[in-house]
Order: sequence, then structure tokens, then C-alpha cells
Amino acid sequence: MGLFIIRRLTSAVLVMFAISVLVFLIFFATPGVDPAARIAGRSATPQIVAQIRHEFGLDRALPIRYGLMMDHLFIKQDLSSYVNIGDRVVPQIISAAPVTLSLVLGAAVIWLLVGVAGGVVAAANRGKFIDPLIMFFGIAAISVPAYWLGEVVNLITQSKLHSSIFSWVPSSGFVSLSANPGQWALHLLFPWLTLAALYAGIYARVLRAELVNALNEDYVRTARAKGLSERRILLRHALRCSLISIVSLFGLDFGALIGGAALLTEVVFGLPGVGQLTYTSLQNLDLPVIMGCVMYGAFFVVLANAVVDVLYAFLDPRVRLA
Amino acid sequence: MNRFYSMKWVRVLLATLVTGSLGLVAASSASASNTSLPYQSAHAGGTLKLMASTAGGTLDPQVNYTLQYWQLYQATYDGLVSFHKVAGAASFEVVPDLATALPKVTNGGKTYTFTLRKGIKFSNGKTVTVNDVLASFQRIFKVSNPNAGTWYSSIVGGAACVTTPATCKLTGGVVVNAATNKVTINLVAPDAEFLDQLAVPFGSILPASAPVKDAGTTPIPGTGAYEFSKYDPNHQLTMVRNPHFKVWSAAAQPQGYPNEIDMVFGSTVESEVTAVENGQGDWVFDPLPSDRLQQLSTKYANQLHVNSLTAIWYLPMNTNLAPFNNFMAREAVNYAINKTAAIALFGGSQLAQPACTILPPGFPGHVDFCYYQKGTGTTYGGPDIAKAKALVKKSGTFGQSVGIVVTNDSVNEAVGQYVQSVLNSIGYKATIKPLSANIQFNYIQNTKNKVQISLSQWYQDYPAASDFLKVLLSCQGFHPGSDNSINIAGYCNKAIDAKMNKAEALGLTNPTAANALWGQIDKQLMGTAAPWVPLFTPKQIDFVGKRVGNYQFSRQFYMYVDQLWVK
Amino acid sequence: MAGLAVFLLVVTICLLAPVYAHDIAHVNPFASNLQGTIVLHGKVVQLLQQNTQGLGLGVTPIGPTWNISHYFLGADNQGRDVFARLLYGGRSSLLIGAASALICCLAATILGLAAGYFGGPIDWVLSRIFDIIWAFPIYLLAISLSVVLLTSGLQIGFIHIGPGSLMLPILIIAAVFVPYVARPLRGIVLSLREREFIQAAIGSGASDYRILMKEILPNAAPTIIVFLPLMVAFNMLTESALSFLSIGVQPPAASWGTIINDGLGLLYTRPVVAIAPGLMIVVTAVALNILGDGARDAFDPKAKLRGSI
Repeated sequence: MGLFIIRRLTSAVLVMFAISVLVFLIFFATPGVDPAARIAGRSATPQIVAQIRHEFGLDRALPIRYGLMMDHLFIKQDLSSYVNIGDRVVPQIISAAPVTLSLVLGAAVIWLLVGVAGGVVAAANRGKFIDPLIMFFGIAAISVPAYWLGEVVNLITQSKLHSSIFSWVPSSGFVSLSANPGQWALHLLFPWLTLAALYAGIYARVLRAELVNALNEDYVRTARAKGLSERRILLRHALRCSLISIVSLFGLDFGALIGGAALLTEVVFGLPGVGQLTYTSLQNLDLPVIMGCVMYGAFFVVLANAVVDVLYAFLDPRVRLA
Repeated sequence: MNRFYSMKWVRVLLATLVTGSLGLVAASSASASNTSLPYQSAHAGGTLKLMASTAGGTLDPQVNYTLQYWQLYQATYDGLVSFHKVAGAASFEVVPDLATALPKVTNGGKTYTFTLRKGIKFSNGKTVTVNDVLASFQRIFKVSNPNAGTWYSSIVGGAACVTTPATCKLTGGVVVNAATNKVTINLVAPDAEFLDQLAVPFGSILPASAPVKDAGTTPIPGTGAYEFSKYDPNHQLTMVRNPHFKVWSAAAQPQGYPNEIDMVFGSTVESEVTAVENGQGDWVFDPLPSDRLQQLSTKYANQLHVNSLTAIWYLPMNTNLAPFNNFMAREAVNYAINKTAAIALFGGSQLAQPACTILPPGFPGHVDFCYYQKGTGTTYGGPDIAKAKALVKKSGTFGQSVGIVVTNDSVNEAVGQYVQSVLNSIGYKATIKPLSANIQFNYIQNTKNKVQISLSQWYQDYPAASDFLKVLLSCQGFHPGSDNSINIAGYCNKAIDAKMNKAEALGLTNPTAANALWGQIDKQLMGTAAPWVPLFTPKQIDFVGKRVGNYQFSRQFYMYVDQLWVK
Repeated sequence: MAGLAVFLLVVTICLLAPVYAHDIAHVNPFASNLQGTIVLHGKVVQLLQQNTQGLGLGVTPIGPTWNISHYFLGADNQGRDVFARLLYGGRSSLLIGAASALICCLAATILGLAAGYFGGPIDWVLSRIFDIIWAFPIYLLAISLSVVLLTSGLQIGFIHIGPGSLMLPILIIAAVFVPYVARPLRGIVLSLREREFIQAAIGSGASDYRILMKEILPNAAPTIIVFLPLMVAFNMLTESALSFLSIGVQPPAASWGTIINDGLGLLYTRPVVAIAPGLMIVVTAVALNILGDGARDAFDPKAKLRGSI
């Protein structure tokens, strides 16, 4: 087990390293992106561009520049933006993280509640009309592009009906929880619902499938033979086993979302989280910030994957050998 | 200057004053009258909330090159001289600021002598001395100011400072005398633009203790009515009253009205507009979304301010690359593009007017003429597609591929798509490359990127024809292989260059004749070379909150934020 | 079956786009028509209407005429027929979804089979590559690839793909989702490899190629077939998201995503331009998902595919 964990962590670090190299290379291969010329400004002379190139270490060999960037990012933690000079990357991410966390946590509560309830109700009523109905809603939720849904929600709440039934909806943006909990929730309500829709759909569908499988297992038959009620079997036995896959799924999704995968939702609703930071830095081709955001995002994805793998290995010894 | 560089306003000041000889510069500016109203303390107080989608980069006034912050620097920093803080045409005049008067110009236009005002304090409480002035000039070079090599190297010792900034002394260039409070600046050659260059934020006088590198997000104390108290590019820039500020010249640095001015970053333009509509914000920095204009101009007409600009949107064509190295091909595009249609994409006829000339209407040297159109008059009468098609055939460029490079914001991309459609209709195979606004402006300048045609903008800095013609279409602005090659069309004609130099020289003695000559050059460029398709002259719209009063528009730096009333 | 029927209906309608544009609406959906006019209720009307109220700022394209023979859904800001573009856009969206799903499944099959069957260093290298793509935020990978490729095009040996080509989004999307299919396939192959009939085949000295093609592939095939429609739906959604970030299909070509993007600039005045293509995406994706469910029930009840868009 210990060996497995070490192996898993080693490969996680390796993946992080490879991703950082990849990002670095992609952006230095992009045409028209000379950070020195951009920092220097419009009518800078070649000497001035050269000075800036030297000052920022942009005249060094690529591997050294990579090393310098990693040193500034992880060890000195003073890596700063090429666009907003002096604006450090690490504090930017730290200040964006709570926004993303607020968005994802709230959405997660909603999608878990809705998804689990939907899955259970559908499984309990299989064969009746409510099951395919729920499953259809699940499919519909999966099939809606999240950004489009967000724009439509904005259109309805901010424009078309803003003067009537949605007059209580604040203009988009973020209010921190510590500043005003009520406004915090109010500003995040529609982003939560929009983000949660997709995942609620997925979870309901996955859970229903798992439950239906579980209901055909031997131990359920045993329980039935013992005369337990169908409701009790579903909730006590089948659900408990099926939740394992939901939990591992949740681990992966949550990791990815915390890491910035909610980018489109954040952009559409103007939430200054990690996703939006990534988006802005990509628009500006601001390499240090992109690097910081990608490493931050990759960290959570890799971590979530590793944790889920280790948990699985813990539960199922066969995996350790694979 | 280019409107969309870094998604902010960037300006280049390469203008030549045409108002008279060097000796007259001071005289004509000194006659500027102060027409603004007396300070109305009843309106003082409150917090003004400005909204911008992104921050404008470094806060260092000697480094930042965006109008987003130049607009704010007017209230926080002062140079020896500055632009007159009034509405209207007078806002282009240079007035004394930290200096007691406009400088005495001697030595054939090479020596400027200023006397520093006494008793002015920085926001950190320290008194402004001549040593701060000297240090600020040295700092221009030490922080690698973008224009150190083009403008300020005209100071004696400046060239050496450009090559070795760390040891910059400007010995003999900037001479200060603490006893008499005099500052003497010696130039290597007469320079008609020098005062303007001192009046922009790059010429701000900062404490000698300011860091000798780009201060980035750390505010540097200044002498203006406000000081920057906090800057976080992802959230907010905060300006509060400078506790040590006392008015010494309302023309140069008037007292401001709000107690605090915040610029809030991070929301989308749409939500900024919604916020101002709902009274949660006071002003939108970003260009207004076109689908909101109709609603705004009917429901919020009294909160909108539309001002004419002397500027141009244009399509530079690469005169060194097929197919546009062929004059007939360039003529063809000029015939084919419908300027009125392009205006429809910009927001309609109230927001722009079609341009046929390089120099905008109302600009010195502007002559009404309009080649390449259906009609024969001097005003635009629509495109002539048949002629365009014939010219494409005749030029032998039919069927060639053309790439159009535009920025990826909605208006620019829409105009780009329209141009693509037109080029396809006259026989080219056009593709469009939308690039981030941050990189497009440099990308289209670099000949290595082989850009054939692009969409760009130029906003004037000073009412001087050379600011358009010489900057954008002379050999000196063309640097193959460099990201900084502002002559995007790559048009270099020695004969026209000579004519421009002649017009510039003539401007010092006979402005009227010089302007006539500039008009001829404009005609000659469009008639015999057509390196661009001029599209339209845009207007500026400012959308302010309901509670905001005292809107004043400077032609130099646009709306005066510090003069707005929120009470 | 309902899923299949709806999907085929959408495909058919979209395939008929040229017929509609040419013979019914008589419009060119790829040419700007800023000064164009149409006849509406007997009156000649500008396609782009200058606002005449208030300060007179703004230009608004004509709204839906609800007349199938011209500008059924109105015009976009270039004066183009939105309905015709919607049909053409469907062709691009479906093509990108289908082609990238095929390429992705093909690549994933090869890689997943190789990783699972050969094991050892091959498996290790491939698995790490999957890990990297998996952990790399999808949009970031797609955006970075698009930025590089859209400005310069792609040059692999003799094959040159121009910057505006549809192949770019297809390849980008295919590449990004390879691990989503390859990983479960690898798992299936791993467990198949332990099964007796495969061990027997290996023992009998059959070549690797033969075992892979004759024994393993037929057993993995149901999973791949189940993945395919889901992948098409999923890739279509990704394409629209990329086009929303204006890094997918390049103008004047249209896809549902690019039309939504065009429509966002008109959201307050002509919301239909953004809403209609979104609805088309939803309908198609629902149909494909139902189709995928059907395929799963028929072939492989245990297959699971998921991801996040």
C-alpha cells in the first residue's frame, strides 16, 4: 500500500512537471508574443526592448528561463505578471480562489441534493412514467451548453424581466461571504444553479444506473428474501453501495472545478475566480499568470485523481497491482 | 495613438506644433484664458465609482502608456508644465504647472529655463525640490520609459542614458540650482514638441526617493489633488484626496470634487452598463456594447455624452506584399469597401462619419476630397463595386489569398468580417485572423508576420498633420522585422518624405502655407499610393450615472474624472 | 429510436441548407449584406435599421419575419439570414462533432488497446500521456493550441492545414478527449487479457496483431460503439464552447457556437440569434444522448462515459 501511494505521488509530480513544460513551450512558440516588446510599450527603441529583455531574464536560454520562472513561482513566490507589472501571481490566485470555492461549493451542494434525489426517485420508480421523465431531464441538463444557459439566465434576469419579477437580482459580480452573507448568496444564486444543472444531470443518471445494478445483486435478493421493505432495501443497502462511485466521481469533479474548470460559468457571470483569471490571462497571453493558473488547476486535478486512486486501492486490493 | 492597444488607449505624441516659431510657443500658450467656473464646494464629497473590465497595467506614471490611467494621472501627478484643465479646444494648450511660468526659451530653441514653484508638497508630506526634478528626469531613463529613446533622448546626455540607464546623470542636460529654484534643460537640437512631451504623465515630477525601477502596483507619491492609496489590478484602484494639496493654479491642477475615486475592475462590460443604469456605478470605461446603444440613447439620453474626436479607423494595406504591392489592387479595395456599412457596425451614423482623407475633418491641413467612390463630389457617395472588380482583374491579382488581421472584440471583428466579405466579392480569397487586442497592434506592425491587410485605429494627440502623415506613412516609421514599426502599410517614398520635411519646416514660419502643403500631401498619398482604406472618424461616448454632474471633456485626456460631482 | 429519428431529422435539415439558402430564401449566408433591404408587408425595409429615437445611437438588425421564405429568424449584425446560417452552422457543428468523435475513438482505441495489451513501458508512457492531457484543463489546452494554430496553421510533413480550416477544431477536440475513451478501454483490455480465452490464444503462439484484432477488439467494440454517439454530442458541446471563446470555427463559416457568439453581441436587441442555435445544440445533444443510452442498453450496459462541459 505504501509503495502504491509513493508510486502514485511520483507520477502525479511527473505529470505536473510535464504540464508546466508544455505550457511554457506552447507560449514561447506563439507568434507575435514577445513579452519584452509588450512590456516596453509602443514606440520603444530597440535598446529599450533589449534592456527590458535582459531585466526580465528573457534573453536567457529557454531551460534557464523555465527554471527561473519555476523558482519565482514556487520558491520565491514573487513571480509577477507581464501585463500588470509588479502584480504578483501567487496573491492573485489566492484572492481568486475563494470566489471559485464559493461558486463550486454552493453548486456542489445543489447538484448533490438534486442529483442524488433524482437518481433515487428514478430508481425507486423504475417502470413508471416518472423514471424516464427524470432521466430525460438529466439528459437535457447534460446537453445544454453551460455558457449558453448562463447567458440566457442573464438575459432573463438582467434584461427582459429585470424590471418585473427579477428586480431583486443584483448585477453580476461577487460579494465576499465575510462582507455580506446575504448578498454573497444572492449574487451566486444563478451561477450556482447554472453550474449545478449539468452535474445534477450526470449524477442522477449515474446513480440511477448504479442503483439499478445494485438492486440486481445477490445481497439485495437476500435482503428481499428476508422480507425487508423495498424502500429500506433501496436506501439502506443499494444506495450505500452505489454512493461509492458517486463519491469518487464527486472527488474528480470537485477537484477539476476548484482548479478552474468552471471557467465559462465564471466568465459569463463575471465572477472574478480562478477560471476568469485564467481566461483573462489567456486573452492577454500573460505567461506568468497562465502558468500559475495552470499549475494551480493541474494540482487539484492531479490531487483529486491520486486521492481517488488511492481510495480505490484501499477498497479494492486488486487495483494496487495494476 | 492607437485606441485598442492593450485594450486601452495608447497614445503617441509625435506631433509638431504648427502654431508658430519656438519663441511663439510660449507666448501663444500663455494667452490661454481660464474659462472654467469657480470651485463649487457644495458639490464636494462622496465616492465616485468608475468601472473598467480590466486594469491598465503598471501604475508607474513614467512607464504606463494607456489612456485608462493617463486620464487618472491628471488628478494625481504634475509636470513642470501640463495641459490646460478646461473643456473644449483650449484643453490642448500647455500651461505652467509646477513651474511658475512657461519656460524662457533661449539659445536658438535649445535651452529651456523653468523656475520651480515654492512650497508645493508631495502626498507623502515632503516638499518638492529641484533635486526631485532632476531625479525624475533621470528616472525616465532608469525605468526604461517607452519613449526614452525617441523623445527624451533629445536632452543633452539623454542618448548616453538610453544605452546605460543605470548610470544616467544627464550632466549638462538638466541643470538645477537649489538656491534660485531654477531648472535649466538643454537640448541637442531645437524640438518643437518638447513642451508637449513634458506635459504628458511621463514628465511627472516624482520624489527623488521613488524606486528606480518600474514601481508596478506600488503607488508613487505625487503632487496632484488626489493620491493613489491602493492598487490591486484584479479588484480596484483607489484614489483619495492628497492631504497636502493646495491649489496653486486651477488651470493646471484644479481642486477635485469627490472625496474618493475608485476604479473597479473585473466585471463584464454588459454588467458595467447595467450597474450604471441601476445607479450602482458612475461611469463605464470600456466601449459600450452595440446592442445596448439603442436602449441607452432612448432611456438614458441625458446620461450619455457624445464628443467628436479627431481620429480615424482605417485599413492599412501592406504595400510590400502581394496583392497589395499593386497600386490597382489597393485602389480596388478602396472602391469596394462601403464606409457607411462599416459605420453601421460601429453603432450607426450618429457615432461616426465616413472618411476619405487621411487627415480627419476639422484637422489642420485637412482638405475635403473623396477619391474612390461612386460619385464625383468631395463627400462620400458609396462604393463602386464594378470598378473595383475591373481593377482586380486588370491588376492580375484576381484569385489571390488575403489575410485580414483584426482584434477579437465584437466591433473590430464585425468590421473584419465585412471586409472579408467584400474582398471575397471582388475576387480575392479572404480569411480573417482575430487576435487578442493585446497582441494585434504589434503583430500587424511586424513585417515578419506577413500581414496583408489589417484594421487599425489612430487617435490624434495634438492638432498637427504630421501626427498622422509623418508618423504613419513616412520612411522613419517603417522598421522591417520589428514589432514597433508604426508605418503599418510599410509605405516609404523618399519624395513624399522630403515634402513632409518641407511642410514641417515651413510650419515654424508659415503655418497656413504648411497646412496647405500637408493637404496636398494627403491628396497625393491617397491619389497616387492609396496605402490605406480610410473608414470613418469615430466619436467618443461616455455613459455616466444619474447622480453625476459637471461632465467636462478634454480633447487631450477626455473626461475629467476628478471634476465630476456625485453630490 | 426517438433519439435516432430526431438526430437524423436534424442531420437531414442541415444537409439541405444549400437548397434552402439557394432555392427558398435566395440568400448568401456567408456574405455581409449591411446595406441590404427586404420587402416586408409590402414595404421595403432595411436589414440593418438605424435607431432614430433619442440620441439616435445604435443599429439593430431586422428581427424574425416568421416567414420561411426570407429572414425567418431575422438577420445578424452583418445582415445575413440567421435561419440559413443556422442550417449551415449545423453542418459544421455536426461535422466537427462526428469527425472529431471518430478520430478520437480511433486514436483512443489504438492507444487504449496498446496500453492495456502490451503493458510494461508502453503502458506506462501512454498512461502518463493520458494523465497529462487529463489534468491539463481542457479549455486551456484547446485555447493554447488554437491560439498557436489559428495564427500560423499546422504543418506536419507534407500536410498543411490552413489557419481557417475546419480540421483544426476537429483535431484539437479529438486530441483533448482521447484519454476519456482510451482510459476505460485500457481497463477493459486489462481485464480481458486475464481471461482464459486470451491467455489460451497467447499460449497457442498467435501473433499480437492477430490477438488484438480477432480476440480483443471484438470484445472491446461494444464499448466503443456506445461511446461514439455520446462523444459526438460531447464534442459538439465542446466545439460550441470553443467557438464561444472565438477560437473554434472561423468566419464567415458558421457553426452553432459561432452563431451564439455572434448573437451575444445582439443579446439585448435580438436574443433569438443566440437562443436559436443554443436550442439546436440542446435538441441534437439530447437526441444523441438518448441514442447513446439505447446503444448502451443494446450492446454494453456497463459502459460509462462522462466529462464536464
